[in-house]
Amino acid sequence: MIAATHMYDVTELPATDGTIALLNLRAQIDSLEADVRLVNSTVESRVGLIELITLRGLILGHIADYQRADEMAEQLVRDAATDGAAFVARARTRAVFHRFTDALDDIDRAERLGLNAETTNGDRAAIFQALGRYDEALAIREEAADRRASFENVAALVGLYSENGEIDAAERLYAESRRRYRGVSPFPLALLDFQLGLMWMNEGRLDDARTSFDAARRRVPAYAPAQGHLAEVEAELGETESALARLYSLAASSDDPDYAAQLARILRDAGCSQFRHWCRLAAARYDELVATHPEAFADHAAEFWLAAGANPDKALRLARMNIEIRKTPRAYDLLARAVAANEVVGAKVMKSHE
Amino acid sequence: MSDHISGPRAIADPVTDITDVFAFPCPESPRHLVLIMNVFPYAGASACFSDAVIYRLRVRSVSIAPNRRAFAVGADEFTFDCTFDVPVNPDGGGELVQQGRCKMPNGETVLFRVNDENGGKGEGLHVFAGQRSDPFFLDGPMAAQTLATRQLAFKQVGSDRLYGKNVLGIVLKLDWGTLLKGGPMFAVVGETLTSGKRPVRLERVGRPEIKNITLGAKIFDPVNRDLEIRDLYNNEDAFNLSEHYVGAYRARLNANLAFYDGLDGKTDWPLDEHGNHPLMELLLKDYLVVDASKPFCETSYFEIEQAMLKERAHITCGGRWLNEDVVDSILTLYVNAGNGPRISDGVDGPIAWSSKVFPYMAPPNRTQAAS
Repeated sequence: MIAATHMYDVTELPATDGTIALLNLRAQIDSLEADVRLVNSTVESRVGLIELITLRGLILGHIADYQRADEMAEQLVRDAATDGAAFVARARTRAVFHRFTDALDDIDRAERLGLNAETTNGDRAAIFQALGRYDEALAIREEAADRRASFENVAALVGLYSENGEIDAAERLYAESRRRYRGVSPFPLALLDFQLGLMWMNEGRLDDARTSFDAARRRVPAYAPAQGHLAEVEAELGETESALARLYSLAASSDDPDYAAQLARILRDAGCSQFRHWCRLAAARYDELVATHPEAFADHAAEFWLAAGANPDKALRLARMNIEIRKTPRAYDLLARAVAANEVVGAKVMKSHE
Repeated sequence: MSDHISGPRAIADPVTDITDVFAFPCPESPRHLVLIMNVFPYAGASACFSDAVIYRLRVRSVSIAPNRRAFAVGADEFTFDCTFDVPVNPDGGGELVQQGRCKMPNGETVLFRVNDENGGKGEGLHVFAGQRSDPFFLDGPMAAQTLATRQLAFKQVGSDRLYGKNVLGIVLKLDWGTLLKGGPMFAVVGETLTSGKRPVRLERVGRPEIKNITLGAKIFDPVNRDLEIRDLYNNEDAFNLSEHYVGAYRARLNANLAFYDGLDGKTDWPLDEHGNHPLMELLLKDYLVVDASKPFCETSYFEIEQAMLKERAHITCGGRWLNEDVVDSILTLYVNAGNGPRISDGVDGPIAWSSKVFPYMAPPNRTQAAS
């Protein structure tokens, strides 16, 4: 009657509808928030709340959620300075805002407070990966997957291989990780499809990217980054109308300026004067975010100033700032494009003076 | 906590996390048996049942085995499968409405609307599903402290982290003479499973506090001191444990039960020559046993099992009623086998008592209460 859990074939994994999953995420947050307001709330429930709010931020593209989680983690460390779990929570929120060195310090601190490496290594690997230290990240991720080939451990390898452009390994492990999924929450599956979509996009395989982003979107319709990247792919494929429909909705609902920036670029390319409105919105928001979280938004802002923002000089400053933070292939590529854009501008200036 | 957050998988997705299972003769009519399964600990107001989960209550007829040390479980099984749709907004601006259905053992289906206190009715079955006040109560931190200090840490007045919290409840009031065969003693198990062609079990619960208080602690286990055993245990068919891990469950149960027995400084449950605790095999077969022929009783948890061990006839319906202080019953059973004073965790009730009228569980708490 019941299939043994290691035997079932998963062509289409059953997962909770994305709308229900979001309602339930909100239900968890609401209930824990009430709990955390109590005088005797535990570190465990506060850490849980920080993680849930961060997840909501990730899914809905709400930077305000990230900021709130960050503030809560800072407060938690002040209140529970001898509890390693508090430092891990803060390491995660710091990593969200690309404060990787600080995040690694927190991981070290958590270990000194007694948390074992098995608990902290996943976070350490994620930071190494974000910093472009792929070999170190890979060593941790492979060791974890060898020890326990769970969905989480194998999916983490998919993320690493896909970011590093190792397509065959990523594809193989993508199928393997899905086979090992043992839950019904759609979020982990949507995040996995999104990872793969990014890989296809980086490889220029736009049809495959569209399939993956659309799979993520179908799992969780409100998954803003999936919708945003799907729109980007659609725009590349000439499906402008569909891309614009997605981006109008995202730009209006999200406090992440990436969507307004994308929208502005597509409208500008289409010769639509409306682009100025979205460009102004994006520019103001990027300036605000770069001022408060330079590590996290320098690269995004640089991309904007290279494209719709049309300010290569500003883009170059931000790309330089970004490469100081993390030396990933994407960061080098961004810097190279910013330099090239400035050379083009410089050449034009030179030519005008000839 | 009864079966709240009982393992990594349950923690990862509360919509599949069974918090409690109850089974009791209907206080309103002796022809009916009431089965309840609660899920989603700490449910906020927007919590919904998953459309990808089968919420299943399994029932089998049982009798007391000739050696009076175990139950003989019948082969025929009666399952009640509740499934749910994606909520819709019929008026466009009002509250979301979620529809559910319960498939009975005879294949017939009863439809109902979530949170409708009138529930849905079919031949021999009355169903309710929706958000209710969590009826379970326990001083969880002091239960953990007891493990950490190896001493009973409960205070005269405890603190209950579930106080004022809600769950999603499924209530079945069924005409057992019509819908079940055999009896009058039945074993009841609640399960959550993935939907789809080949359902996979996510959680299962019979008795309260098996996974958390009884199986959860690793530190006394002489065999698997680093094993989180609860997800493995959740995978298992309660009526047919796989032979692969049963040794691990036995070792964990024996070690933890011996720990609790020693908390009052004396041994009330001497181990046998193989090191087995007298309760181990009984608890390993994790289902609630209820006698539908006996009248409703408010404090009857584990009475059938205790009578069986003492080789006497049981006098109550057994099973489990919503308002019973089951943690005190369990602590007393484990620590002094009823040979000493009743052991209390210092928490004697939930924020709201359940009623003896369908759907029994108290309405959801709308505001947060201090524990």
